[in-house]
Formats: sequence, C-alpha cells, structure tokens
Amino acid sequence: MGLFSTNPVAALGRATLEGVGAIGRVGLFAARGIAAAISPPWYPRQIIAQFASVGFLSLPVVGLTAWFTGAALALNIYSGGDRFNAETVLPQIVALGITRELGPVLAALMLAGRVASAMASEIGAMRATEQIDAMVTLSTDPRRYLIAPRLIAATISLPLLTLITDIIGVAGGMQVSNYLIDLSPGIYIANTMDFLTAWDVESGLIKSAVFGFIIGLMGCYHGDSAKGGARGVGRATTSAMVSAAVLILAADYLLTSVFALK
Amino acid sequence: MTTTAKIAWTGISKRFGAQVVLEGLELAVAPGRSLALLGRSGQGKSVTLKLALGLMKPDAGQVLLDGVDVTRQSEAERRASFRGIGMLFQGGALFDSLPVWENVAFRLINADGVGRAEARDRAVEALALVKLAPEVADRYPSELSGGMQKRAGLARAIVGTPSLLFFDEPTTGLDPITAGAINELIRDRVTSLGCTAVSITHDMASARTIADELAMLDNGRIVWRGRADELDHADHPLVRAFVTGQSME
Amino acid sequence: MRASWAETIMGFAVLAFAALMLTYALGVSGLKHSSGTYEVSARFGEAGGIQPGAKITVSGVKVGSVSDVTIDPKTYLAVMHLSLSKDVKLPSDSTAKITSDGLLGGAHIALMPGGAEDDLKPGGEINNTQGAVDLFGLIGQFIRPQSGSPAAASSADSAAKAPAAAPAPAAPKAAADLPEM
Ligand SMILES: Nc1ncnc2c1ncn2[C@@H]1O[C@H](COP(=O)(O)OP(=O)(O)OP(=O)(O)O)[C@@H](O)[C@H]1O
Ligand SMILES: [Mg+2]
Repeated sequence: MGLFSTNPVAALGRATLEGVGAIGRVGLFAARGIAAAISPPWYPRQIIAQFASVGFLSLPVVGLTAWFTGAALALNIYSGGDRFNAETVLPQIVALGITRELGPVLAALMLAGRVASAMASEIGAMRATEQIDAMVTLSTDPRRYLIAPRLIAATISLPLLTLITDIIGVAGGMQVSNYLIDLSPGIYIANTMDFLTAWDVESGLIKSAVFGFIIGLMGCYHGDSAKGGARGVGRATTSAMVSAAVLILAADYLLTSVFALK
Repeated sequence: MTTTAKIAWTGISKRFGAQVVLEGLELAVAPGRSLALLGRSGQGKSVTLKLALGLMKPDAGQVLLDGVDVTRQSEAERRASFRGIGMLFQGGALFDSLPVWENVAFRLINADGVGRAEARDRAVEALALVKLAPEVADRYPSELSGGMQKRAGLARAIVGTPSLLFFDEPTTGLDPITAGAINELIRDRVTSLGCTAVSITHDMASARTIADELAMLDNGRIVWRGRADELDHADHPLVRAFVTGQSME
Repeated sequence: MRASWAETIMGFAVLAFAALMLTYALGVSGLKHSSGTYEVSARFGEAGGIQPGAKITVSGVKVGSVSDVTIDPKTYLAVMHLSLSKDVKLPSDSTAKITSDGLLGGAHIALMPGGAEDDLKPGGEINNTQGAVDLFGLIGQFIRPQSGSPAAASSADSAAKAPAAAPAPAAPKAAADLPEM
C-alpha cells in the first residue's frame, strides 16, 4: 500500500496532501522561529557561537569558491567572449556576474552543504538523545536557545560572506586577466569600480539574506523533525542540504525576476 | 489519601500506533513521599514519566501536578512549572556541546538568570554530591564514562533544589559503592529537604533504600503497590519474581 | 563547538585578504578628492550615453566625473556640467569628446588639452566639443535607408544632424594638437 497503491489517482492525491502538509509544517515552524528570533529573551552566547560557526568558519571555503569562480568566469569571457569582443568589457562582466548572481548563489550553496547539514545533524542528534526534551524540563525554550540563534546567524552572516565573495571573486578575475591579457590590476579595478552600481551589490545582498534564512530554516526544521535514531539523523542531514539548495535556486529565480521587473 | 497528591496519573492511556503501552493507569504520590516504580523492561515506565512532564501527550486521562492538569497546559505554562521539577533521563540526555558544569548549571544560567561564576560554584557543589570531582566540571560529556554521565545528569536534576524529582534508573551502570551513595543522596533529598520523588529502578536493593512505597507497572497499569517492608511477603507473582530474581513459572 | 586554531587563522587570513583587496580597489577608483574639484560646462549636440556620474578622462586617466546633464532651452543643446580635479589645469582651448567604452560598455568624456596660454577657469566653458556618434542610429540608417519604424528613423535623423549642430566642429585641428595618447 502506501504510495505504491494500485490506484494511481489515490496515490497522487495522497502525495499532494503530504506535500501541502509539509509546506504547512515548514511554514508554522518558520513563523514560530521568526517570532522567537525577533522577541526577547535572547541567548547572546548562543547567537555569537552561531555567528562564529556559520559565518567566520565558513570564510575559507567561501573565499576559495569566490576566487576560483571569479578566475574561471574571467577565463570563459576571454576564451568564449571574443566572438563578440566581450573581452574588452571583461572586468565589467565578471563584476556583474559575481555581485548579482554567482556570489550570492555559490556562497549560499556552499553554506547549504556546510551549515544546513551540520545544523540538521546536531539538532537531530539532540532530538534523538532526548537533549531537547531535557532542555524543556530545564525551563528553557529550545526555540529560543537553539532555533532562533541559528536563524539570526545564518540570515545575517550570509550577506556578510557574500560581500567577501564579491571582493575575492573580483580579485580572482583580476588575477587571471593580468596574466592572460596583460590587463593591469589598476585598470581592471578602475573599470570594475566605475561600472558597478550600488544596486548590483545590494540586490545580491538582499538575495543572500533570504538564502541565509532558508539555510537556517532547513537545517533546523529537518533536524527538529528527525525521527528514528542515527538513520533518521542521516536522512535529516541529507534532506536539509538538498532542500536548502533547491529552495535557494528557486528563490534566486523568483527574486531575480522581481528585481529585473522592478 | 486525603491531601491532594503532589503528582497523580488518572485514567491514563497511551499507545504508539497499534501498540498499547498504558491503559487506565492510576497512580498518585503524596507530597514528601518517595515512590519506586518497578516493572519489566518495555512496560512503559519511562513513558509514564515523560507523560508527567508533558513531553508526550496521553491518548486519554489526566496528569495532575499540584492539582493542575499538565496535559492541557501550554508549552510556556509547562516550562514555568518545570522550575520546581528535576528530571534525570534514562540516557542522561546531557548537552554534548556544553562542558559538564554548564550542563549542571543549565537552568540556573538560562532560566533563572544566575551569574556564570555563581552558577559554576553551585554546579561544582552539586557534582560533589554525586561524587564527581571538581576536575570533571570542565570536561565534555563525551569524555565521561557512562556512570559518570548518569551522575552528572543526576547533579543537573537536583541543582536548584526542585520539590519534585523524577529519576529514570539513577543507579543503573554504577558500582555498588557509588550506587549506595546515590541511593543515600536521593533518600536525603526526601527526608531532609521534603522533596517528592518518583524513581524508576530495576535494582531491588536501591528500591528498598530510596522508596517509602513501591509500585509495579505491568500491562499498562499498576498491578501491585506496597511499602518496602511488604515486598518480601507480597503474593503477586511478578513482585515475588522481582524479589527473588527468578523467572516466573 | 570548539574551533581549531587552523580554522581560526584561515578565517582571519581570508578577512585580511578581502580587506587588502578592498582598500586597493577604493584607492584605485577613488578620485583623489584631496585638493577638491572645480566645475566647467560643455555643450554637445548629442549627449548619447552620458549620464551624471560618467567619468572624465585626460589621456585615459580619470580626472573627474559628470555632475549633471541639462538641456539649453534656446539652442536645444545638451549641457554637461563637468566636475574636474583641481590638480588638473586645462588650457582654455581644450576639446571635450564623448567616447564610447565599447559596444556593451557605457560612454565617458575624453578631454584633449589644447595649446592656449590661459587655463580654463572654474565656471568656464569648453567650446570645442565632439558629440557622441549614434552607432545604432548609423547602423539602422545603413540597413534600412528609407523606411523602418518611426523611432529608428528619428534617431538616425538626429545622429545625422548632431555633428552639424555642434557649435565648434574643430575636431581635426584639436586632434592635430594632441599630445600623443
Ligand atoms: N517515542 C516512541 N515511539 C514509539 N514507541 C515508543 C516510544 N517511546 C516508547 N515507546 C514504546 O513504548 C514502550 C514502553 O517504553 P518505555 O521506554 O516506557 O519502557 P520502560 O518501561 O522504560 O523500559 P526500560 O526498563 O527498558 O527502560 C516500549 O515498547 C517502546 O517500544
Ligand atoms: Mg525506561
């Protein structure tokens, strides 16, 4: 039985109901998480600890990603873009691509892998070993102690990381252009800075705040609803990562269309 | 019992899917009394405690804490009433991201607003009560043996002197000497501090020391209840089997 | 969670690198405003592509930016208000030319110093100007000489008229005076 019911219409109906139910549960979880995040009491130590692990410790991986992406983008514009003289505006295309799209999305995807999964496995393990129950009996609200700090840290850290991504991505492009087409770093940067508008960077940062929230939400939600011991925690970890990545890309498309039509 | 019970389970039924765990459970503990809950493995003793803490919802019945039905309380109300309750989980349930002393002082720091330095001192005192040396305070739970984790969990349950204590197998995994000390500690909480205690145990010697009364849970309800000195001439076959340690015929 | 030393150092290294890069970028792009700026104006028959903020260069080096673009209600010429660095003194007969940065890029104003003895005064006007060449207009005109959409026709029109309407079509002479670029 279950999803393998002989009646495909019934199976479809059941799957739809399950989907709607899941959206409702995530929505409720998100609403409660936001409510806990924006109202006192807060746990500053937990918030700082999350900033350290979500933001600061993600710097190396995000920095490397940004560098290689900027460099590869510059190479592609050079080798593929010469069909329409695009190499004359190479710095501009790298800057636009990094700030508006690749910086926010790649930083978010790296964090989906690094952070959403870690959150899900940590909270899932705490569920499985009754640590969350224990916290309630110690008169502490897990939503405030565990969930809110993670949502806050992820939502604020990712835009900051994206800013770093923007800078290092441009540096990657600059370095490649320097040895490839002998474009001096000074001219590269001058072109980039003249061309970029505040909105190019801002739109990327707005997106990344949304992505950060998605990462925190998926990590916490899947961890909190983990069932069935170590296997369940493993499943939760994977679901957190995959659902965060898919939602990030979907939200990217939505937000970009909103910005483009603005 | 004429006074209101400190904690009372009335008409509790609880099932997981098709499996019926509790069915019409009736159990009450008067203030200042210590009850040992006995029963074969998997009969629902841990579930009984979790129901009292509102961590699970019963399918039917009420749990009255000081006369108030906890199954109808909101989460926030329950958290407030937990200030007077200490709970030792069967698996310890220590927070593995925090050092031992912060585990023990968790409620003091995060709910009672006690300063970290003072909370630490009080945690070290509580650790001494469960025979854990002050050096243990800075270790992480993963660096402790099973019995040490159990004792750290016990220290966490008694810190802040709650008036109602739940212990899920407090002496399991301990050597006889340490177990004896823990039994004394629980006994002392009840006699000198006037706490009410409900302890789950499989250890009959422990049960005799810590409990004024014993209750045997079987097939979803209490099948026998009596004082410690009534244990030896109880005529219920399950109780006799527990006392003699021989399987039932 | 306790972070290892290596992780912490790596984090600081990335931050330091980003900070260095940012300082460098701001240093390169930032106009050295130390000595302040002065304003001059220039009239163009075709302002195509120039917006406030567009850069102004001399021999390819940025020396200022366009602060405003208005229209002269009498002559219908575009009036550019140019904000130049005080470090750069230009002869009064210098030439301003709108130059495109490439097909996809924006446009900027290139100044070519003249040979006169006296300098341009703050508030003065650059009389020698060369307007933008409306590339797309020219292409449109070339592809569809007669018909086509009204919009294309009118833009081609303006492109054709623009150089004639410019007050001082002295480009060849100015170019001859140019120091090597
Ligand atoms: N969360 C749960 N989901 C499903 N079944 C559960 C859950 N918790 C407990 N059970 C079931 O309820 C029954 C009673 O469990 P409980 O933990 O109360 O046993 P116990 O009496 O404490 O046993 P032990 O002495 O071994 O600790 C068990 O059969 C168990 O399978
Ligand atoms: Mg149990």
